[in-house]
Amino acid sequence: MIAFDHVGKRYRSVLGREVRALEDFSIELHAGEVFGLAGPNGAGKSTLISLLLGYLGPSEGTIRIGGLDPRRYVEAHGISYLSELVNIPPGWRAEEALRRYALLAGVEAPARNARVDAVIEWMGLGEHRAKRVKQLSKGNLQRLGLAQAVLTEERVIVLDEPTHGLDPVWTQRFRDVVATLRRDDRVILIASHNLDELARLADRVAIIDHGRLQRVVDVRGVAAPAGGDRTPYRLVLVRGAELMPSVFPDARALGQGEFQLDGPTLDEVNAGLAALLASGALVTMVYPVHSMLEQQFREAVGIGEGEP
Amino acid sequence: MSRARVGAYALWQLRDYLKDRGLSTVIIAVLSAYLAMSTTTETVPMPRPGDPVVPGMLARFGNPDAVYAARMSEFSFHLMRSMLGAMVFLGALFAMNGIVANDRKQGFFRFLFAKPVTPSRYYGQAFVVHWLGFMIVMLLLGLLYGAIVWPVLTPHFVLVVGLMFVAYAGIAFLLSAAARWDWLSLVVVAVAATFLWSKFGASTHPLARLLFLLPPLHRADEVYASVSGMPVLSAAELPVVPWPLVAWFSAYGIICYVAGLVVLRFRRLAIV
Repeated sequence: MIAFDHVGKRYRSVLGREVRALEDFSIELHAGEVFGLAGPNGAGKSTLISLLLGYLGPSEGTIRIGGLDPRRYVEAHGISYLSELVNIPPGWRAEEALRRYALLAGVEAPARNARVDAVIEWMGLGEHRAKRVKQLSKGNLQRLGLAQAVLTEERVIVLDEPTHGLDPVWTQRFRDVVATLRRDDRVILIASHNLDELARLADRVAIIDHGRLQRVVDVRGVAAPAGGDRTPYRLVLVRGAELMPSVFPDARALGQGEFQLDGPTLDEVNAGLAALLASGALVTMVYPVHSMLEQQFREAVGIGEGEP
Repeated sequence: MSRARVGAYALWQLRDYLKDRGLSTVIIAVLSAYLAMSTTTETVPMPRPGDPVVPGMLARFGNPDAVYAARMSEFSFHLMRSMLGAMVFLGALFAMNGIVANDRKQGFFRFLFAKPVTPSRYYGQAFVVHWLGFMIVMLLLGLLYGAIVWPVLTPHFVLVVGLMFVAYAGIAFLLSAAARWDWLSLVVVAVAATFLWSKFGASTHPLARLLFLLPPLHRADEVYASVSGMPVLSAAELPVVPWPLVAWFSAYGIICYVAGLVVLRFRRLAIV
């Protein structure tokens, strides 16, 4: 559906220095999948999305969407797109903005008003529909940006930091929105700093850093680390804390019955838990300090344990 | 095959023009008229219906009403001539300022052109719609002027104003498509063209041919004078519109407009 083939993007700064925003980036995104894009600030995520929409041209390599050059694809079919910064003229009213975008997106006149009303309802913007864009809060503006992206049934959806500015309720609802949007003939690309969000939503996540693809994590295909993989865990007990030094000699007490286990294997954690429970301890929680995706991210971008 | 209804979006573009740009054009035009009135009355007094009539004028025109009409027509000519050029230039500047560049600078292009919309089609249409909006504004101002001062709207007036707008607006459109600081660029082009044509226009040096790359703005006054009314008292011959010159101006604007469309067709929209 979408293919990046050895794509590179170079800029020239005002002082004439060459900046490589993206280097030798190759990947294919398939219809039916939700694909995540993760990376530190300045990693090249936004450049990649601008290339995908044809707002920038690649310095090397090719990009194809449905076999077409990005700009040709967008001008023929459109892409549902939410940008990182929601840029809508501040004087427009929320409903007016959606009517304009619906018209430009090709929603036919008889269905246009009904579609706009439905999207306003879906995104919970009913009480804000008559407000000007400049009067909307960050969260409402973000929802308006999402609303304009889902006005039409496009086969490619690109969401750049979609939960930025959303409150916890709408962050949760956003997951439902993505679940609703997921379709066999559609690819959804989500760029986010929020690894937990990507781990919940995406099938695969590409981790990029310094303009290079570091790795692609198959989120659905990989369970928790097993065997020799070592990851720090936290364990919380309400009874039996005195047993910890004998069961997990390297455990660090964090207070309030919480301990950190630095780098045991999953087998060691389970064996230790069995010993604790057999001795009468009451364990309330065991969890990895970093999610599997976060662990992969930290390795990919070279963040060591103990670093934030 | 594009599904987008860019044509239907023209109504939104016209509304945007009238609200955001047309209103400011009216305000500036009224202020310009007020200033022009003050300076014109210093050289050509504004006639009033009860003014005493000079016997020679009475003999020439037959009755006091005809004398008043002749003097009013003369006054209107000088007033219109002193402000028409500025109004068309400022109207074009307001209509085209940032027409492409603002959307690029402020990021509004991101949602617009993720829809199945071609930038050259969208902005090409905006140019035409803004031209139409400007003509509506100028017609209204012309009617107002006619009611307060002296009727000035004629088919030649409307046509010349419309074509001169195209000359300035075409340049502004190209600059907005190609550069970020389009309003400043337009002013620079206007000043440079007027200065260079005035200074080297008569030169026979081969390099002087390069002047034809610039619009003949030093002769714009000839065009405006030809449609500013009837100077029946001061001119032996009534003005005739210099159509070849008008054609030169408008062709220059149209070429710039087409060049702007070509830039939009091939230039990437994101600013890096």
